[in-house]
Amino acid sequence: MSIADVQLSQAPGALVARLTGEVDMSNAEELGATVMGATPQDAYGVVLDLSAVEYLDSAGIYVIHGMRASLQSRGQNLVLVIPARSPVHDALRLSGAERPGEVVEELDAALRALNAPPAGS
Amino acid sequence: MAEPRATRTHRPRLGSGQIALEPADGILEPSEQVRSSLRFSDPSLSELPLDRLLDELLNLVQETLEVDTVAILLLDEDAQQLAARAAKGIEEEVERGVRIPIGGGFAGRIAAERVAIFIADVDHADILNPILREKGIRSLLGVPLIVEGRIVGVMHVGSLQPRNFGQSDLAVLQLAAARAAPAIERASLAARLEHEHNVSVALQRSLLPKRLGNFVGVTVATRYLPAREEVGGDWYDVFELPRGRVGLVIGDVVGHGVAAASLMGRLRTAVHSYAIESHGPGRTLELVDRFVHSLGEPAMATAAYAVFDPYTSAVQYATSGHLPPVVVGSSGSRVIDVTPAPPLGAFPYGRCAEHEFLLESEEILFLYTDGLVERRGVPLSDGIDALARAVDEADSPEEACLAAITGLVPVEGLRDDVAIVALQSSPVPDELHLRLPAEPKTLAQVRRILRRWLVERGGGETDVAEVTIAVSEACANAIEHAYSPAPASFELHAWGDNGDITVAVRDEGQWRPPRGENRGRGLTIIASAMDDVQVGRLDSGTEVVMRRRLLYR
Repeated sequence: MSIADVQLSQAPGALVARLTGEVDMSNAEELGATVMGATPQDAYGVVLDLSAVEYLDSAGIYVIHGMRASLQSRGQNLVLVIPARSPVHDALRLSGAERPGEVVEELDAALRALNAPPAGS
Repeated sequence: MAEPRATRTHRPRLGSGQIALEPADGILEPSEQVRSSLRFSDPSLSELPLDRLLDELLNLVQETLEVDTVAILLLDEDAQQLAARAAKGIEEEVERGVRIPIGGGFAGRIAAERVAIFIADVDHADILNPILREKGIRSLLGVPLIVEGRIVGVMHVGSLQPRNFGQSDLAVLQLAAARAAPAIERASLAARLEHEHNVSVALQRSLLPKRLGNFVGVTVATRYLPAREEVGGDWYDVFELPRGRVGLVIGDVVGHGVAAASLMGRLRTAVHSYAIESHGPGRTLELVDRFVHSLGEPAMATAAYAVFDPYTSAVQYATSGHLPPVVVGSSGSRVIDVTPAPPLGAFPYGRCAEHEFLLESEEILFLYTDGLVERRGVPLSDGIDALARAVDEADSPEEACLAAITGLVPVEGLRDDVAIVALQSSPVPDELHLRLPAEPKTLAQVRRILRRWLVERGGGETDVAEVTIAVSEACANAIEHAYSPAPASFELHAWGDNGDITVAVRDEGQWRPPRGENRGRGLTIIASAMDDVQVGRLDSGTEVVMRRRLLYR
């Protein structure tokens, strides 16, 4: 069976990608490419909802960093939905890495963050 | 020889030159009739396959009547044609696949009017079959082959010399026809059934899972036994669900044959489809029930769907009219008491309750269809008890299947088909010694085995999550470094006691300096998740040994 899935939906000004299952080196790149390929050029950015992900490791973190870089080069933002007690939260903590984008705990907050005017404008 | 008498009772529509004959009754001289009857009723004839029987009958007719040609044409009901099936003297008729429309020509008229027809002179008669003219046949006599009032074909004889076929000739031909007709009917029925049976068996086979997946922490065995005569719509299915859980399905479509097998295939797909949407067993069967109602054709089936979670040993179970599962443990077997919901397709908007029970380590969950336990004149509960007794001492799913079949399936075969699926929660060894293929998809398997092992060691949620990610990272490194052209593999060893666990991952490649942020991050994760990490470079490869004191939380 496939160990992960991604559901894509459009919110005002944003693509919402909800990942489920387990993300590792076997599927991280494909999942990232799926989300990037579905992101409209005119969107403010992407909300990557990781709240239902059951496992994510360095391969996943690497791909999320890559997504953030690509989006930024297009003038778009990446907002991550990662609840405090979740496997993705733990993976990021263990990796000690810089957060690969703005992190919020809920989808509503992510959409607000994405549509808010950039700081300083 | 008596002159043929034109029939007066019904007035068949005949072609030119055709004369309808009344059936011959007791026209033969007694001794001649007895002799012919004896020849045509030789019991050894009925042991012949149809082709040989027809051949023998044609020979007998040819000898007895001293005719030049004999032919049998069989009705093709769908085409409303007669097709030449066996012939003497005009074998080309069969070879060339002569087909005569019902109602047309000589044979066609015999079939349409269901009367014997005599043609004195072919030259002046309505004949469709070109071979009869080409052969120079002058006179013909034919009779319908009738079984239980239905026409199944035509048998006719021909003479190269003009001949006045009489009542005694007709009587002989009728005897042969009476002998041939039921045999033809039986043979074509058997051929139809065999065809349908073969189609259903092929369909049934193609719809059952070809190969069982490799499930971590569980052992599964399955069986499908076709019924003696008919194929039914029994099925089983086994599939993997997220988080290492395993779905087991057993079902039984009401009915037999191709239709049942085809519905079975659709139901099997429907259950699997709703199951991977992460619906629980109860909701899954409710959705399949809606699916059955939406088919727009009368359809009914029973089914049970169980989800086994090897980490919690819990079985979530739902049943739509299906028989109760049996669980076999070290202290014997027990029938799990679950109240079934109505069968799939029985009532609109039926509800399907979910039950939960534990399947302890090494216990076997045994699901089956009614063909295994249903015996005429025996209460169903007795059959289920007999099953429970039969599998009582089984130590593995294979043994349980074998014990059930040897104990319950009669030697003369089954009246109904049987599907069985049995699952055992396999024990987790104290130490893991695994050699695994160096492929990315191995990682998910490693995590499943390891999670289960950690739970058995008493690891808490945090322990399990953190050790799992660390070991998975180490395995990812091993997979990335597997450069050998041959199918590469790596080893995983895990051991520990008193809350101190060690996991070693050894590969056959050389760890290179961390490539970019990604691998570096992997090593950081390993280091943060484990208390101690040693990376050893061996001659044969690289070994990473990780140790952690469990927190039990």
